[in-house]
Amino acid sequence: MNAAKADVQRRIVPILLYDDGCATCSRIARWVHRSASRSAGEPSILDRPVGNDPSELRRLNPGLNIWDAYAVSHVIMPDGSMKLGGEAVAEVLRRLPSTKWMAWFLDIRVVGIRPFQMLLNLAYRVLDDVRPILGCESCGRAKPWVRPIERLTKWAKGMGRQGVKPSMALHFRPLPVAHQRVAGQSRQSSTGVKG
Amino acid sequence: MSDGSTVTEEKIQTLDSGSFRPMVLEAEGRIAVEFMSYGCGYCRAIEPLLQRVAETIEADETIFRVNITAEPDLASEYGISGTPTFVMFLGGQELGRVEGPSPNYASVRDAVTGPFLS
Repeated sequence: MNAAKADVQRRIVPILLYDDGCATCSRIARWVHRSASRSAGEPSILDRPVGNDPSELRRLNPGLNIWDAYAVSHVIMPDGSMKLGGEAVAEVLRRLPSTKWMAWFLDIRVVGIRPFQMLLNLAYRVLDDVRPILGCESCGRAKPWVRPIERLTKWAKGMGRQGVKPSMALHFRPLPVAHQRVAGQSRQSSTGVKG
Repeated sequence: MSDGSTVTEEKIQTLDSGSFRPMVLEAEGRIAVEFMSYGCGYCRAIEPLLQRVAETIEADETIFRVNITAEPDLASEYGISGTPTFVMFLGGQELGRVEGPSPNYASVRDAVTGPFLS
């Protein structure tokens, strides 16, 4: 797709932004891409990774912050508004030919609340929390309630902390050893301030 | 991680492999470089604090950012084993480094100023 066509298209269909460092998110985005392209004609929703350029994201929507885009799922609507988290998932389901029937359930209101949308929001939060177990390299440390399950999963797979260099710093995301090349290992490195 | 709160930008300039040498290695004065990635929750947690610190100390010290996802060779060259890692330079020489400071103002300020005070 050329740039001009992509530019026109993003004004008429929503865009799902996803974290391509997260295996779960990438799998879901691939499924969305396949499902959106299945019907004849133009896809009903576009997908694109968040990427590394804050100014490029602001060109998509001036209110879009790259940190936020990585922290929670975003769907950018053709009118410039954004849907986040469970609402973003609902919008994706609403747009895909195979799942748009779900929109009817998600829009049902009972005494002013949307119970199915609330369930979807909850499911989104749970999935978001358990992503570190499912192979998310960019998710950081798992939430406290997920850590025992994470340890159990790794133990069951016989992995332990295999492939990740342990760190004493609590607020630190170690890179997989495969990402640390030999050139870097020759340099002096330690945790803490060196005088 | 999914509170969706907004982090404002931007007191800190992002460097790439082309600008790293002139801005850090060939520059005078105190320089701190944060090796980070936008997908790292800890980097996000300290970002507003780092912006405040950068504003407070801008007369004495410059803080830059290197996104290791976009610049893996720079991360490799400096032996970055995770994010966030702060590497402090004076006269182009590495003076010290701090990995994963706690997400509070004092820790972040101490991380980026500490090596120059000792």
